Amino acid sequence: MTFEPKIVGILCNWCSYTGADLAGTARIKYAPNVRVMRVMCSGRVDPTFVLKAFAEGADGVLVAGCHLGDCHYIDGNYKTLRRMALLKKMLSDYGIEPGRFRLEWVSASEGGRFAEVVNRITEDVRKLGPARFREARKKRISVSAA
Amino acid sequence: MKRISIDPITRLEGHGKIEIFLADDGSVANCYFQVPELRGFEKFVEGMPAEEVPRVVSRICGV
Amino acid sequence: MAKLKLASYWAAACGGCDTAILDIHEKILDLAAAADILFWPIALDFKYQDVEAMPDGHLDVTLFHGAVRNSENEHLARLLRAKSKVLVAFGTCAHLGGIPGLANLFDRRQIFQRVYHTSPSTVNSDGIEPQTRTTVPEGELTLPEFYDTVRPLDHIVEVEYYVPGCPPTPKQIWNVVQAIVSGQLPPKGSVVGASDKTQCDECPREKHEKKITGFKRIATAQPEQETCYLEQGFLCVGPVTRGGCDTRCQLSGVACRGCYGPPPGVIDQGAKAISAIASVIEAKNEAEVERIIAEIPDPLRSFNRFGIPGSLLVRKNL
Repeated sequence: MTFEPKIVGILCNWCSYTGADLAGTARIKYAPNVRVMRVMCSGRVDPTFVLKAFAEGADGVLVAGCHLGDCHYIDGNYKTLRRMALLKKMLSDYGIEPGRFRLEWVSASEGGRFAEVVNRITEDVRKLGPARFREARKKRISVSAA
Repeated sequence: MKRISIDPITRLEGHGKIEIFLADDGSVANCYFQVPELRGFEKFVEGMPAEEVPRVVSRICGV
Repeated sequence: MAKLKLASYWAAACGGCDTAILDIHEKILDLAAAADILFWPIALDFKYQDVEAMPDGHLDVTLFHGAVRNSENEHLARLLRAKSKVLVAFGTCAHLGGIPGLANLFDRRQIFQRVYHTSPSTVNSDGIEPQTRTTVPEGELTLPEFYDTVRPLDHIVEVEYYVPGCPPTPKQIWNVVQAIVSGQLPPKGSVVGASDKTQCDECPREKHEKKITGFKRIATAQPEQETCYLEQGFLCVGPVTRGGCDTRCQLSGVACRGCYGPPPGVIDQGAKAISAIASVIEAKNEAEVERIIAEIPDPLRSFNRFGIPGSLLVRKNL
C-alpha cells in the first residue's frame, strides 16, 4: 500500500484558488492529496497555521499566492514572502525536511501550473514518508512515554 | 541491613538524595549520595550566538 | 480564618522562582501569617514521604516550578496534583518549558553523550552513564528516568493557573499571593500575575515607524538606549510577549527574549514572532529578503527562547 501524503494547501482567493479552480474546469488530472483552504490573501497566512497543520498530522503544507506585483491588495504577498522565508528557517530548526513545505506563486490563469505544483509537492512528500510530528504533542503522557 | 533514605535533601539549591545503610550494630556500613537531576545546558547551548549564552546559562542556578 | 496550606516545589528548575518568592522581602512575614507552608525544599525540611502521607486535596495551593524533564519530576507533578486543591504552574518552566526546554532540540542520547563523554571537562575513562537501577553490595539504588522530551506542567496534569516569568517578578508574586489569600481569582485556566497586553505597551523606549533593512547583534554593534530595539535592527520579541514584568530586560540594556510567554490569543509565540518581525522588514524582492533574514542567527532559539515544549511542535524532529 503506497503512502498517500496528507497535504494542507492554503490558497489566496484572487490568484491561486482561482488557478486551482481552472485546473478543475479544464479537467486536468493531478494528485488528489492537497486539502485546500481558501484565504483572501496569502498575506493572511499566519506561520501558526503552517505549524498547526504539521502539529495536527499534515505530512506537507503548501502556501500559494499571487505572483509578486500582482497581489489584489498590492503588497500582501510581499508580507507572505518575508514571513514564509523566516518560517522556513524555523521549520528547519524543528527538523522538518525542506520538501514538506512550499511557497508558490500561482496566477488565476495557471491551472496547469497549479497541477504541476501539487504533483511536485505530493511526490516530494511521498519520498520523505509520513511526518511524525503529531506524536511529540501527546498531552497527559504516561510514565516513560517520552 | 537497615536503610534510611533522605529524599529530598533540603535547604540548598538542587536535587539530591542520600541512602544510608546501617549494619546490625547500628553503625553506618555505607552511604550513597545521588544527584537525580540533569538538564543538559552543556549540550543545548551549542550553536547559540555567544552573546546570548550568558542569558541562558544564568538559569543554571537562579539563586 | 484558617491558615492556607501552601506548597512550593521545583522540578527541572534553577531555584530562581523560589528566590523570587523570597524577594518579596518583609512581606514574607505576611505570607507566613496567612499560610502554613507544608513542603518547600529550598527552605524547609519536609520530605517526599510527608507529601505522600497527606490526604488528597490537603494542600490549598501548590506553586509548581520547573519543567518536567524526568520520571521524578513527573511523579511529583502527579503527586502534588492529587494532594492540592489548586495547582499553579509557577514560572516559565512550568508554564511553557522554559530554558530547560531548549534541550528539546536534542534527545537523551545526544545530551548524555556530551555531558558524560565528550565535554572537555568530563573525566570518565570508564564511560559510565547514570542508570535507573544500580546494584550495590547493600542493595539497589535508583535514579529517575531521563526522558527524551521536556514538557510543561500542563502536558502532565491539569493546572488551574499560570504565573509567567523567568522568574515572575516579586511585585507580581505578591499580587498573586494576595489574590490567593483573598480568594479573588479569575476563571480556572487563566494566566495571573501579568498584564493582558504586550511588552511594547509598557516599554519606555521611543517607537517610530519600523522599516528594518538589516539585523544587528549586540556582540558587534551598540544599541541606542532611548529607541525601540527592533527599529534599530536588534531582535526583540517584545511585540509577541505578555507584559507585566515592568520591562526589566529592556531597562537593563538588553532586548526582550520572551520569558513572560505569549500574549492572550497567541498559541505559538515563535510563530507569532516570525509574523510580527517579518511584517516590519523592508525588502523589495526575494534576494533582499534572504539577505536580511540571513542576519538573524539561530532562528528558533531566538524567536522562541523560553517556550519550545509549549509550542505547537513541542520538540525538534530527529
